[in-house]
Amino acid sequence: MGQEHEHHEGHGHGGSPWIQHHYDDAQHQFDSGKLGIWFFLVQEILFFSALFVAYIVYRHHHPEIYAYASHYLDVKMGAINTAVLIVSSLSAAWAVRCAQLNQRKALIACLAITIVCAFGFLGIKYVEYSHKIHEGILFGKKFDPCVASGGAHLINKSNQCAGVKSSVVWDAKAKAASKGCLLTDWKAANAADPRAKTATGAIFDFEPERRGFQGRCEVTEVTYNGKTESGRRSIPACDAGGEGGHGEGGHGEAKGGHGGGHKTPCFELQANPWVCADRGPAALVHYGDHAVRGSNVVIEATCEAVPPAPEPTDAFADRPHERTTGEATFRHVEKPTKHELMHEFSNGPPPEHTNMFFSIYFAMTGLHGIHVLVGIFIFIWLLIRAIKGHFTPDYFGPIDYAALYWHLVDLIWIFLFPLLYLIH
Amino acid sequence: MSASADNTKSYLEVNPGLRNWLWTLDHKRIGMMYLFGILGALLLGGAFALLVRIELFSPGLTIVGKDWYNKFFTLHGAVMVFLVIIPGIPAALGNMVLPIQLGAPDVAFPKLNLSSFYLWCIGAILLLVSVVLGGIDTGWTFYTPYSLDTQTAVIPAVMGAFILGFSSIFTGLNFLVTIHKFRPQNMGWFQMPLNLWALYATALMQVLATPVLGITLLLLFVERFMHIGIFDPTLGGDPVLFQHFFWFYSHPAVYIMIVPAMGVISEMLTTFSRKHIFGYRFIAYSSVALALFSFLVWGHHMFVSGQSRLANMVFSALTFSVGIPSAIKVFNWTSTLYKGDIRLQTPMLYALSFLILFTIGGLTGIFLAVLSIDVQLHDTYFVVAHFHYVMMGSTLVAFLGALHYWWPKMSGRMYPERLARVCSGGVFVGFNLTFLPQFIMGSRGMPRRYWDYDPEFTIFHQLSTIGALILGVSLFIVVVYLFWSFKNGKKAPKNPWGGTTLEWEAPTPPTLYNFPEPPEIPELYDYDDLVEDEANGNWIRKPRSGAKASTGHH
Repeated sequence: MGQEHEHHEGHGHGGSPWIQHHYDDAQHQFDSGKLGIWFFLVQEILFFSALFVAYIVYRHHHPEIYAYASHYLDVKMGAINTAVLIVSSLSAAWAVRCAQLNQRKALIACLAITIVCAFGFLGIKYVEYSHKIHEGILFGKKFDPCVASGGAHLINKSNQCAGVKSSVVWDAKAKAASKGCLLTDWKAANAADPRAKTATGAIFDFEPERRGFQGRCEVTEVTYNGKTESGRRSIPACDAGGEGGHGEGGHGEAKGGHGGGHKTPCFELQANPWVCADRGPAALVHYGDHAVRGSNVVIEATCEAVPPAPEPTDAFADRPHERTTGEATFRHVEKPTKHELMHEFSNGPPPEHTNMFFSIYFAMTGLHGIHVLVGIFIFIWLLIRAIKGHFTPDYFGPIDYAALYWHLVDLIWIFLFPLLYLIH
Repeated sequence: MSASADNTKSYLEVNPGLRNWLWTLDHKRIGMMYLFGILGALLLGGAFALLVRIELFSPGLTIVGKDWYNKFFTLHGAVMVFLVIIPGIPAALGNMVLPIQLGAPDVAFPKLNLSSFYLWCIGAILLLVSVVLGGIDTGWTFYTPYSLDTQTAVIPAVMGAFILGFSSIFTGLNFLVTIHKFRPQNMGWFQMPLNLWALYATALMQVLATPVLGITLLLLFVERFMHIGIFDPTLGGDPVLFQHFFWFYSHPAVYIMIVPAMGVISEMLTTFSRKHIFGYRFIAYSSVALALFSFLVWGHHMFVSGQSRLANMVFSALTFSVGIPSAIKVFNWTSTLYKGDIRLQTPMLYALSFLILFTIGGLTGIFLAVLSIDVQLHDTYFVVAHFHYVMMGSTLVAFLGALHYWWPKMSGRMYPERLARVCSGGVFVGFNLTFLPQFIMGSRGMPRRYWDYDPEFTIFHQLSTIGALILGVSLFIVVVYLFWSFKNGKKAPKNPWGGTTLEWEAPTPPTLYNFPEPPEIPELYDYDDLVEDEANGNWIRKPRSGAKASTGHH
């Protein structure tokens, strides 16, 4: 700074001591700075542009993700933040006017208001971020929430949500499940199924209270006779003599309980057991050895919500099947409103790759937040200079430039708020 | 800091001492520091190139295995692109001459200029850190998803390139404002030297394209750091989006490299032909046209990346149109030579080499713009040869020419002319020997970036390696004699080439604020007023009757 001072003395510019030597006059310096900041803002817009393009590309490919995931965001918080930023933009613009009119106290006040608002913005953002971190509403593999965007309870992938690690406890003496329930004797219930001739098993309902669950459960751990077998594929299959069977292979190609010789009961664990729309999370467990029914068994399962398969469009779906001759009867079906559909959708499990929305959300708001942070440093620097009385009607360029920067930061948020929070 | 503001001594002498150099705000000193950094990086990148070529001297293992080979070509590309060619002409030479050609005392934002230089240093250090940590093997393009998986030191290299990007943006911003706000009152846009038009077009691209590279590399960094997923297909992201973003910058980046080269070539060809430039406005406009086109053709790097057929056709057609401004320039330069009084001094030798090499590089680019041919030639040595003809054969050769052209002005010393001419011949021969065989083997199917090859390609690889060695030795000698002449060269006169732009009106070397007195603005590219003083190797302006021009700014 001292150097500039000297240059100024040497070159005899009039006015403010902050005019650098290589400019003709204060106006020349101001104009150059103004053009420079405009080019800088163009650069900033292009810096953000890639994120907006990424937003458009992913939204074009996966509109359902955006419709679902935006409900996770708190519109109220976003709206307050928008208001906070607009107020700060006003105070920044006012600061320029104060500097031009040489109103030092008002200038200091305006700069201080801008700084306070910027802190307020970041504070609210902090609350939002920490809520999302706590709830597992993050990007990539860290997206693993326990609630749907509509607020309904979910079972997440890592099975860490409180109260949803499912298990069934079969009490041999009581011949009943003491936790969960044995729905039915599979063999008896499915006598028509050819597999029933060779298989013995049962469908356990892990969470009878969670009706309407759509997803799959995999049995991860079976304890019987005080011994625990764990790991999804490590439990001996029914025909395994040696290295342990594999429960994969889908729909219960049961290998039977009559494989000779093995003393341990065997469970054929189904990787993709029945998904019951009218039951809770369920899994099929075959047991080859009938003796198992006579021992205490604890079955642990991991249940994961999966998105519902798209329903086939059927033009006649609404028609009742019963008909009487000569007279068609049509049952009037009330079509669900858009709102109801949305409510149902947002309370279901997240669509695949909902994590991508939060990649975009955190990238955009994070980069914006960094810009707010930088703005805070700039305005604190300006505040110090304003208190020192550096700014005069001849020299207020830095305030003008910082205000322009701040307006851009504000403007980017004004785009981000509807694009992220207000979409359906 | 108590730097003296004495405007009568040369900028090299006025405030001596390392401290004054490191904290200098003088554009010429900053340009000099850039220049030495860039020449160092050139030797480093050249060493990597020679290692690549030596490994390819014979099929199979020659000196190192495939892993090191991958690292060598990656580091060669990254160092040459980000540290040498992009900043070469604008940041080093442009910094030195841009304000002087405007008759201005400095660039608009001297402090920003210095910070650009230090950002360049930080970026260079980060690239070196990645070398020390074992190098990177992604190719200079950092394509996802490989760059997300590789175990090599991607993070420092990516951060280095990110910071170098901002160095480039700030230089461009500085130049734009300087050209807008520091033109003398009687220098309109069409009285500017063509070098300034080229630097203006370059600066536009630097400011508009580089931020996209910045955000892309930032996302790649975050991707590797926290697995955010935007480019990671396993998380639902799109790796091809990375390619789009990358080339949206990196195609303009190619023009950031070539357009300033065209600017300096325009200056040299007219000066050494002793003839007014032919088609001034066309050359000026074509620089800006190239800057605009540069943003519309990135998809031609991705013809085989699964773009839609429509996109491929549009990008192909737009790519052809790049040929128009390029050809306008080549025709105008050739017409400038026509019936000129051609002086074959070293800068001119480089300029003529440029003319030949750029024509080859540009025309082979048109081949690659043809969709059906590109499918055949994509990722072969044909592409490697094509872009080396443009980046090296054109940009680096123009850089060398311009370096010799302005070296007497900036260092105050002449370089050894005869040795310099021999070296420029060595560069031309070595370059062609390196890359002409690559066109042939590429069109016969030799893929790029392979460390091993079928024996039928051996002869081409061996010719190429021999050429690279000739090229490497020539460049090394150039760097050595320039350093030598800085202390020991003959003292340079004010106007050794008889140039008409303003820098030749400034003292040699220029004073701190370039001109002790505001200079008269001479008629641009009018060589009739200059008389050669052969005894001193100088050109002197005939006294002119007529109104004196002043240099007040807008």
